[in-house]
Amino acid sequence: MNDNILEIQNLNVQFKTFEGKFSAVRDVSLTLKRNESIGIIGESGCGKSTLAFSIMRYLASNAEMDGVLNFNGKDLMENTESEMDKIRGNRIAMVFQNPSTSLNPSLTIGFQLDEVGIMHQKLSKKDARKASIAALELMNIGDPKGTAKRYPHQISGGIQQRICIAMAILCKPDVMILDEPTTALDVTTEAVILDSIKDLKDKLDMSLIYISHDMGVINKVSEQIVVMYNGEVVEQGPKTKIFENPSHPYTRALINCMPRGGVVKENTKLNTIKGYVRRRGIIESGCPYVDRCDARNDTCEAKYGMRMIEESHTAACDRAYAEDIEDTIIKKRKPRVRIEQPKELHTVLELEDLHKVYGSRRKIYAVNGVDVAVNGGTVIGIVGESGCGKSTTGHMVAGLHKPTKGKMIFNDTDITSGWRKRSPETLKDIQLIFQNPGRSLNPSHTVEQIIGRPMQRLLHINSKEERRKKIISMLHKVDLGGEYLAKKPNQLSGGEQQRVAIARALSISPKLIVCDEPTSALDVSVQASVLNLLNDLQHDSEVTYFFISHDLNVVNYISDTIMVMYAGKICEYGKRDEVMSKPFHPYTEALLSAMPEVDPTKQKDPIRLEGGLPDPAKKPKGCPFAGRCHKQVGKICEEQYPPMVKFSDTHYYNCHIANPEM
Amino acid sequence: MIKYLLYQLKKYPLAIAGIAVLILWVLIAIFGPLIVTHTHTEMDSANQMVSPGTAGHLLGTDSMGRDILARIVYGSRSILTVALLTSIFSTLLGIGFGFMAGYFGGKLDAAFLRAMDILMAIPPLVLSMVVLGILGDSSILTLTLIVSIAFIPATARVSRGVLLTEKSQEYVSAARIRGESHLYIMFIEILPNTTGPILVEATARFAYSIMMVASLGFLGVGLQPPTPDWGMMVIENKPIISQAPWAVLFPALAIASLVIAISIFSDFVSKVLIHER
Repeated sequence: MNDNILEIQNLNVQFKTFEGKFSAVRDVSLTLKRNESIGIIGESGCGKSTLAFSIMRYLASNAEMDGVLNFNGKDLMENTESEMDKIRGNRIAMVFQNPSTSLNPSLTIGFQLDEVGIMHQKLSKKDARKASIAALELMNIGDPKGTAKRYPHQISGGIQQRICIAMAILCKPDVMILDEPTTALDVTTEAVILDSIKDLKDKLDMSLIYISHDMGVINKVSEQIVVMYNGEVVEQGPKTKIFENPSHPYTRALINCMPRGGVVKENTKLNTIKGYVRRRGIIESGCPYVDRCDARNDTCEAKYGMRMIEESHTAACDRAYAEDIEDTIIKKRKPRVRIEQPKELHTVLELEDLHKVYGSRRKIYAVNGVDVAVNGGTVIGIVGESGCGKSTTGHMVAGLHKPTKGKMIFNDTDITSGWRKRSPETLKDIQLIFQNPGRSLNPSHTVEQIIGRPMQRLLHINSKEERRKKIISMLHKVDLGGEYLAKKPNQLSGGEQQRVAIARALSISPKLIVCDEPTSALDVSVQASVLNLLNDLQHDSEVTYFFISHDLNVVNYISDTIMVMYAGKICEYGKRDEVMSKPFHPYTEALLSAMPEVDPTKQKDPIRLEGGLPDPAKKPKGCPFAGRCHKQVGKICEEQYPPMVKFSDTHYYNCHIANPEM
Repeated sequence: MIKYLLYQLKKYPLAIAGIAVLILWVLIAIFGPLIVTHTHTEMDSANQMVSPGTAGHLLGTDSMGRDILARIVYGSRSILTVALLTSIFSTLLGIGFGFMAGYFGGKLDAAFLRAMDILMAIPPLVLSMVVLGILGDSSILTLTLIVSIAFIPATARVSRGVLLTEKSQEYVSAARIRGESHLYIMFIEILPNTTGPILVEATARFAYSIMMVASLGFLGVGLQPPTPDWGMMVIENKPIISQAPWAVLFPALAIASLVIAISIFSDFVSKVLIHER
């Protein structure tokens, strides 16, 4: 029997659109051995998902594909549609990014799982249910029988994704394709799912294709790595070789632009990749990365082809071999020495016992008592899983919601009310940057209108010329130019959109900016440049950031103080170094441990959090984290809210473990 | 933009036919009366109920010797005017009511929805018929107003629906926290992003109002003579349908061709505007 389960040779996929043809996947060849795991990595728009769909031959009607897809020794390209139906979901299974949209909300989990067995293996209803339960058990889902009777909305996102994986493995497929299965999930859930995926592969003897934009995730699950850029494979090889010796400039840039390994803003500027992924027509040739590469030379535009660096490791850079490049290994991060002036600290924002309860009949306790004081000119990072109340807190500060209880004081003014009752002065001083720039910029307004409106409204600059002058200088500050004035948001890339949003927030020189996950909707390379920008602007303008993120690395990079939240309460609060160097609260510890690491040599002792956040409709009596805590001390955890343990004036945490050395 | 339209037209060739017929009718309404040899009231007593093709009467005449072609041509003016005004009025009123209700929500929205339910319970045709019957006056203006009001439930619901989806977008939150007024948010922030579905509804209303005006004419409460009306022509000539079928057939065909053409056009608009996103 052939050792290779899947061989792709010279696969091309093109889409016909009214602007002409463009190629989504070009000349891709790769082989997947039995029981091997390949990770495909690249930014959005690099053709990763298209490649996955074309393996299943499941593409939109305007797609054209050619090449060879040898699956188990047979070319899938020659199969008829009905033959493909027998392979899809049966021999090759796929798991999608968003579990809540890939499960049918009006059918029970059991019914949807049974369908797979009935359809592909012609099982009777009874046997199909048995197989479904077995698959759920394999995914370590507690109470599989009960779960089978539930509907998708009664189950948390992490479990939903595990059910999707259970559905994929039900027929014991030869190949399982996972298309960013954990991107929509929290890091702690992600860690648990990645572990179970690794387990499964060995148990079921199948091959995996794992698609992700995150080097850390790929590092965890894959042995082979394929780096894709703009529809082409630019580098491929075994994981260790790629991490030790990344040869393509794009691979290096991808590894480097993530704020990993504890880099902080004082000493490092993040590496970025300039520009964005450009769509290519089918006739263009040459290196696809040429316009963004900072190591290009004259030959790059003309020549292109895979080169072998050593056995089983190839890269498509002509210069991968060249010895004259200093940064053959990993490009050094640009050091930055920033002399921090000892600032005179004054409190700019004070939250006192802040509460927010949503709903009237069925109450959702989103924020349950947050006390914090934010110093002017500093960055406070708020971190926690989704649903922990960090965004709600930010929105209350920005004035979108009115707190149910508690007080907010901003520069000695009471701002507890919502936006309706705030003075124009306060509205000007507190700005909000949203998570998704595509939604926070009005799609039918031009950049000029978007940035100019707050100036007109809150600064009363009524002359159009004066506004325009200011807008242009603002655009230059965020590394855009005057040519953007007349553009509309949909003509901009995600990174450019977020820059416009930042320009809008900064244009009226506010004192406090609430950044609600400003980089989590962006690609890693863009994230790096936006973080650099936010950081520089903060340093220059002395504005205060209320920086919300689920990503501890990002928060670690940009913040001066860190606040860890869980179930609407503060778990741990302190200066960055105090919290990050040795986390005391078990939850902070678990969050840190769940972060996927880029360096394959580093091994962390894993702390896995099972289950989800406590039911927000109930007010917990004891420590909200007790149910998932790996360091529970006893009954006291569930019965009493933990006391505050203070280490220094600036560092405290709420836990029953008084002595952290325990 | 033009390139994009041509691309879409190539994808839906039926739309070309629809748009062509529509343009043809508009041209007829504007220039037709200059070309036809008779007027809509002129009675040729020597040629009563002559069949199509008779000298001077391309589409024949009715029982009073009036030229069918001339009456259809003059009738296209009134029907297109009423239909166009109706679709504009009902859309504008619908945006006003729908936006207010959807934007402020709560009790206002509930009251609005119940009021619309009541209006919807009465078919628009019956409603307009009763009101026009009571008023006893069917000028172009009253007809337009009544039909517009009868159409408000439909247009207002569409406007309310699209507003609700846009209202939850973050750009609206962004406008709120810089203290914009409600009217600014509704009409400057939200309205431009809802034009697609609202325009589609407006073109559909255009087709519906032609049907409506024709039906009202047929029922005798539409535009009153001497204003020519296609629906009225159908009912007037019904008694002579066996002797002169053309007198009924041609106005009916005119109604059908215009309504179908606009429906196809409206479909096309929805494909271009809504699928674009």
